[in-house]
Order: sequence, then structure tokens, then C-alpha cells
Amino acid sequence: MASFTINSESIEVDANPNTPLLWVVREHLKLTGTKFGCGVGLCGACTVHVDGNSTFACMTPVSAVEGKEVTTIEAQSNPAQNALKEAWVAEAVPQCGYCQSGQIMRAATLLENNPKPSREDIVNHMRTNICRCGTYNRIIKAIERAAEEV
Amino acid sequence: MTYNKPPIQSPKTTRREFLQSVGITFAVGSTGIVGACSLDSSSEPNEPLPSSSNNTISANAWVTISADDSIKIMYAGTEMGQGSMTTLPLVLAEELDADWENVNVDIVSVHDPVYGNPIRYTYYGFPILYTAGSRTLEAYYPVMRQAGAQARKFLLDTAAAEWGVPVAELKTELSQVSHTASGRTLTYGQIIGLAELPDNLPLVDENEYKSQEDYRYLGKDITRVDVPGKSDGSAEFGIDAQVPGMVYASVLRAPVEGEEPLDINDVKTREIDGVIDVISLPHGVAVVGESVEAAFWGKSALEVIWTTNSPFRNVNQSETLDTYETYARDLTFSTDSPLWQNVGDIEPAFNAANNVVEAMYRADPAYHAQMEPMNATASVSDDGKSAEIWVSTQTQSLTVMAAADTLETSIDKITLHPMLIGGGYGRRGEYQAKYVDEALLVSRAIGKPVKVIWTREEDVKDGVFRPLSAQLMRAAINSDGKITALQQRVATPSVLSYYNVPRWNLAEGRDGISMNGAQTTRYDIANIRSEHLIMDRGSRVAAWRGVGSSYTRFANESFIDELAHHQGADPLQFRIDLAHNDPDGRNVLEEVGLMADWSRKREGSALGVALSDYGGFSVAAGIAEVSVNEQTGEIQVLNYWMVIDAGFLVAPRNVNAQMEGNVTMGLSNALKERITISDGIVDQSNFYDYPIMRMDEMPDIHVKAIINNKSPSGVGELGLATTGASVANAVFAATGARVRELPLTPDRVLAALRG
Repeated sequence: MASFTINSESIEVDANPNTPLLWVVREHLKLTGTKFGCGVGLCGACTVHVDGNSTFACMTPVSAVEGKEVTTIEAQSNPAQNALKEAWVAEAVPQCGYCQSGQIMRAATLLENNPKPSREDIVNHMRTNICRCGTYNRIIKAIERAAEEV
Repeated sequence: MTYNKPPIQSPKTTRREFLQSVGITFAVGSTGIVGACSLDSSSEPNEPLPSSSNNTISANAWVTISADDSIKIMYAGTEMGQGSMTTLPLVLAEELDADWENVNVDIVSVHDPVYGNPIRYTYYGFPILYTAGSRTLEAYYPVMRQAGAQARKFLLDTAAAEWGVPVAELKTELSQVSHTASGRTLTYGQIIGLAELPDNLPLVDENEYKSQEDYRYLGKDITRVDVPGKSDGSAEFGIDAQVPGMVYASVLRAPVEGEEPLDINDVKTREIDGVIDVISLPHGVAVVGESVEAAFWGKSALEVIWTTNSPFRNVNQSETLDTYETYARDLTFSTDSPLWQNVGDIEPAFNAANNVVEAMYRADPAYHAQMEPMNATASVSDDGKSAEIWVSTQTQSLTVMAAADTLETSIDKITLHPMLIGGGYGRRGEYQAKYVDEALLVSRAIGKPVKVIWTREEDVKDGVFRPLSAQLMRAAINSDGKITALQQRVATPSVLSYYNVPRWNLAEGRDGISMNGAQTTRYDIANIRSEHLIMDRGSRVAAWRGVGSSYTRFANESFIDELAHHQGADPLQFRIDLAHNDPDGRNVLEEVGLMADWSRKREGSALGVALSDYGGFSVAAGIAEVSVNEQTGEIQVLNYWMVIDAGFLVAPRNVNAQMEGNVTMGLSNALKERITISDGIVDQSNFYDYPIMRMDEMPDIHVKAIINNKSPSGVGELGLATTGASVANAVFAATGARVRELPLTPDRVLAALRG
């Protein structure tokens, strides 16, 4: 049994403590916006926030978030996340779209810590996340746009 | 405007119920327009049924207008990020003069020839639903226009009769008909309540189509219907399927193709909490769990002894490639495939040549690396003869047909829920999809809905790859320095004979996947021969974005550069001169040269160019600016310029996005992506040993489209094929070293630098 907060809601999950947070979020809690990509922290598709830090959910056992605050793409009340979601639509970022939840979650921690990132800041922060469709240059534009809004 | 998400759980829908649910259906939307959609008696009949109410009509198979003015438009492709789920309905909405805000897009989930892609007719004997080869917009564009025009004409005629005025006095706008003289208006929803419905609608003459200057949607940048859901996590991909009562399965597969489990020790697996069952499959062992983690852990605990008698055990890639090269070099060798391209007669030209130039190009296999690992969810009925399937697929038709084969049942017993696709690139277009079969077989065995998820490691190890190839390029040059003959000998396996056997059986030996791009159509060369030397495959093989052109055009466009160098000519001008009879090809070359400021010499970097024609009439020219670290052999691409001609741009911003994607995936592949096989086993397993391009490696990408009013053609793969050759040509321009093997890895660059 693990107890933590997800998107501001306190929950208890009956799962083996070694279960990756990714599968708890996706298949136990049915919050499927967080994606499975590589399972080893190489692609960033599973990025969520744990106590406000970008975290690879695929590498994080659920026992490690005991008592912590987990935020996923489904969260409604995070200003940086909301600005990014709007910017993602405005810049028509997604192609297949599979990696984009992780990209947005990753970008959100950048904006929270660095509200006016340079292009270099963006690239350095975002290089953890892979996009096979090749939307990188639009991701940069959308983050720049969201930074204007926040 | 929205689109309907595929239902997560729905009652079984038979074809008749499907038709009834959309009211009267006229097949004329596609029949006869492109000459490929008419039904024959062997196909399922598309019988008009009585309308269940006057509130909903389907003016043809494609559009349904309701009394509340909502409009449903059917989409017969699959959306994998290329945008056709928006652009095709938009074409219909434009011609219908519909209010896009009230349009609902519905994905066709049935295998029904009425919705088949017209150009996929010849491959199968009837049109099928298959989204590949960048042929969706091109093929359905005339269908969508006609369907929209028919529906609009019907609405106009009905309103004119109601008011007793000539049709010519009426106009349409945003889902309503108005009569300016009397100030009367009727919404489309109001009109369908008045109509006595004909069984068929007549074809509308193309001259009556809307003129382009009146377009409200096409050529503008309308938000794609799938983008909002992909920007807030709500989009549902195959892996997101949630079916009540569902369990999970993970499959341990034979390490080498063609082998089977000989002895299974599942004692430790069955001790794991949450493991339900262990099931032997023909090619592996499935562990079924109450949770996905139980299934994965159970799989890891399996101990399996495999057979070791597969001929694929003997496959070692470097040897395989050397064998291919030997066949390519042996000019007396040929296989059963008819010539891919044969213009004039190369033999006399080679015999009379003053000079013969030859070069060998090789390419390693490539992995799709689609971000969504393969997965499928299936629920098989108790009798084992019916199933529901939730899957990301590039082809509704083949998925249903193959599932029916697997369950030894008929296609009407298979209900498909096509999900959004987390990366297609050809990976999800095969006929017999192993991941679907696994879900079906496990569900049938345990009597529950099952979701099968592949790990990334399985996705790589059990990948279906762009095939290995060795290509001999030859040119005959006469005493005037003119190229009199060009020959391309492509030694590579047949992709179709593995990936899509039904299509291969009708292909008469011509493999349109393996040989895609291995033709020279833009250059004025009198004698051309391109031939497929069909090799034994050393791996599973598939179409890969750009189909075959990422390797075939690496060879022929690198070779054109070598010929330019041989002649002492500028590589861009050499191509422009060769393309003197081809205005479109010449145009994109000239434009991209201007864009890149071709003749300006750079400090520490150099430019390379390549031309790619891609199926249909799309054409692209790309220029790469690279710098090469001569100590490490590393190539950095600084800028990429691309000029395309794809006809009228239905969605310009989306065209740009596709070109950025093609350049990115093409460069990633050209610079670093490499699958290798040792003793029949794929050596790579995840993104650490199959790295793909990340944000910090991206060049600036500059795209320009030639503006014209030709019919639109595909852009989903256009230009990708310019990347390999343009980078290799730029490396040559920068260093004088010619790298003839994809990918252009540092070790190969260093070897070329050493000569």
C-alpha cells in the first residue's frame, strides 16, 4: 500500500512497492496521459513531477513517492503547465503526439525555475526527451511562447 | 469541431447495423470518381437501406448532416501525426461550405471497399484502408471534393424547390443556404428535414467546384483536430486502451527468428504475486498477469530452452552485406524481379563509353524507433471465433483480415477500434502483426480481454527493419563528357514478400517498397536501368519512413555528385543542367540553391545537395550545411534547406511540420542509426545503443514550398530521402572524403578521410 498525492488528491494504491510509478499512474489509476517509452529513463515520455521536480516515472518505484506530491499531465491547476498546453496548440507542436505529455511536463519545471529561459537553456533542459517525429524546433517555439504568457 | 474518440467499449457492430446507424448511405461518394471504387459482386454489397428518420441523412458514404446542424465526416485513413485526419474532412467541408466548428470527424473502423484508398485497388483486387506511402491526401482528395460538392448540390436543389426560386439565385455559406433577393435562409439541418431522398446522387462536374479564391479552410492553417488532445494528455493511443476485466500479458520471444520454446520452466514465474497463467505460443511464451508489472516480472523469471535449428542463426550482418555486394558487383547476376526502370538500352552505351564510373553504396538496417512500443488489446469471444481489437494500426483492412486469419474466422466477426498512433513510419502497416496475434491468442486461451505491451528492448530485438542493402551505381560517359547511361543495381531483400504477402502475391515480382526511389526520372539521361537483385533476408523487414528511398536515393544522389566531381562540375549546376527537361525538378533545385546561398563559400563548413522525387508528383531538393571534425570523424549539421513542390498546399503549416519531421528523422538515420545482427540476434536493445537525434543536435531547418495550383500530393515522407546523400555530399565538399555507407558514423568518416 502506497500513500501519496496525485494532482492534489490524496490516494492510497494497493501495489507492490517495487512497481514503477509509471504503471501505477497509467494502469492502476488510469491516468494514461503519462506514456511508456523506454523503461530506463532515456526518452522522457514518462516524465511526471514529484514534489515539483521532473522525474522519470518508469525509473521511480512507487515506494519512493510515499507521502510526496505527484503531478501528471492531467493536472489542471498548474499555471506553467496550462500556459504550455495552450502554447503547444498555438504552435501546432504535436505530430504523432505520443512524447508530448512528457515534453510538456519537462518544460514545466524549466519555466517554474527559470521563467525567461534562453534558447540554450531550453535546449539543455529538454535534451532528456526524445521526439521521433521531429517536433523539436516547434517545442522550442512553444516554450518561448509560454514563457511570454506566464 | 471535434473528432470522435474510438469507443473504448462498444457493443458488437455488424455491418448492417453500422449502415443503419448512419441512415441512408449512398455509395456514389467514391464510386466512379477515380474509377477504382466500384463494388463487384465478390465484395460486400453496399445496399441502400430505408432511412430510420428524416432527421439524419448521409448524402453519401462520407457525410452525415443532422437536424441540429452538426455534420459528421468520415475519415478513412489513420492519423499518425501527418494530419490527414484533419485535411481530408476539411477538403469535404470546404466543398460543402460547412461550418467547421460543427463538424465531427469519425474514423472508419470497418474493412469496407467503399472507404478503401482508391490507389490501393490494384494491390489487392479491391480498395483497402491503408495509410502508407504518403498517398492518402493524393488519393482521397478527388473523392472528398466530389462528396462535398454532391452534398452541397443536393442541399441547394432542395432549398430551391422549397422556395420555388432558381438554384442560381442561391448561395451557401457556413452550413446554410440563403436567397439574397428575399432574405430567406435555411440551415443545412433544416433542409434535410424537407428532402425526399433519392437513391443516388449524380456526379457533380468539376467545373462546378468551389474556386480556390473562395476557400475558407483550405490553404489556411486550421488547427488539426488531434492537436488539442495531444497537448493535454487526453489523446488515446493503442497502449491507452482500458477494457473492463482486462488482464495483461508480456511475451518472452525466441531470440532468433524461426525458433520455438523447447522447454519452459515457469516455477519462479508462477510464484510471483499477480501472475495468472503462462501460455506457450508458437514463437514465445506469454505470461499473463493481473497487473502489467506482474506480467513483466513473471516474464523476467521464465527459464526457457529454445530450439537452435533456425537458419537465421547463421546470419551475421557484415557477411550478409558482403554477399549482397558480391552479387551487386557481378553484372551477369540477376534474380526473378523484372527491371524496376528501363529506359532506352544501357548495353550499347556502356560498350561505346569513353569512361565508365562505378561506385558501391551500402546501408545498414534501420529501426523505426516509434515512441509508442508495439502493443495490442484483444477480447476474444468464448467460442474463439469473434474478437474486438484495440490497436494503433496503419491499416484497418489488413488488421481485420489478418485477425480473421489468425482466429480462422470471417472478417465480419472482427470489431476493430483503431486508436491514435504513437509513431507509424511503416512499423504499423504489416499484414500479420505479431503484437495483435499475441493479444488474440492469449485472450482466446484465458477467456479474458488482454493487453499485450512490448518493452522497448523487445521492440528493438523483435523489430522489423528497413532492410540491409548494397547498391552498385554505374555510369557511361561518352567522349563529349555526356552521361549516356545510368545503372542502379540494388541488392536487397524483398520487403513485400515478408511484410505484406497478399500484396506481394499480386506484385508480379516488382517490390515497390524495396525499390522505392531507385529510379531516375528528373534527369535527362537517354539510357537508364534499375534492377532489384532480390537477396535472402537476414532479418525481419519492413517499410520505413521514406519507404526505400532513404537508401536508394542515398546511392543515386551520392553518385550524381561523384559524376559532377568527375566532370569537374558544380554539383548543383550539374543537376540543374541534367534536369533541363523537367521544370519542377529544376525549379526546386534552383530555389534551394538561392535559399542556401549555394555559391557563398563558408569558413569551416560546406554544403551538399540532393534531389528526391517521391512517388506521385511531389519533388524536393535539400541542401545540408555540415562541419566535420577531422580528428573524431563527427559530422555536425548546422543548417538544412528544403524546397518542395507538392502541388496546392491544403494545410501549409502542417506541410512545414512534416518537412521538419522528415529532415529530423532523415538526419538522425543518416548520422547515427544502425541496427546490426550477430548470429541471428539483433545487437541493439534501447535508446542507449540505438540513439536517435535529440534537441541539442538539431540544425536550423528552413523550408519553402513552391506555390502552385496542381492537385495536392503527399508530404509525409517527402524530402527525407535527400538527407543521406546531401550530408554525404557536404562531407565530401568539406573534406574531399567520400563516405558510401549509411549511417555516416565517425568511424566511417575517419576511414574515408584516411582514404
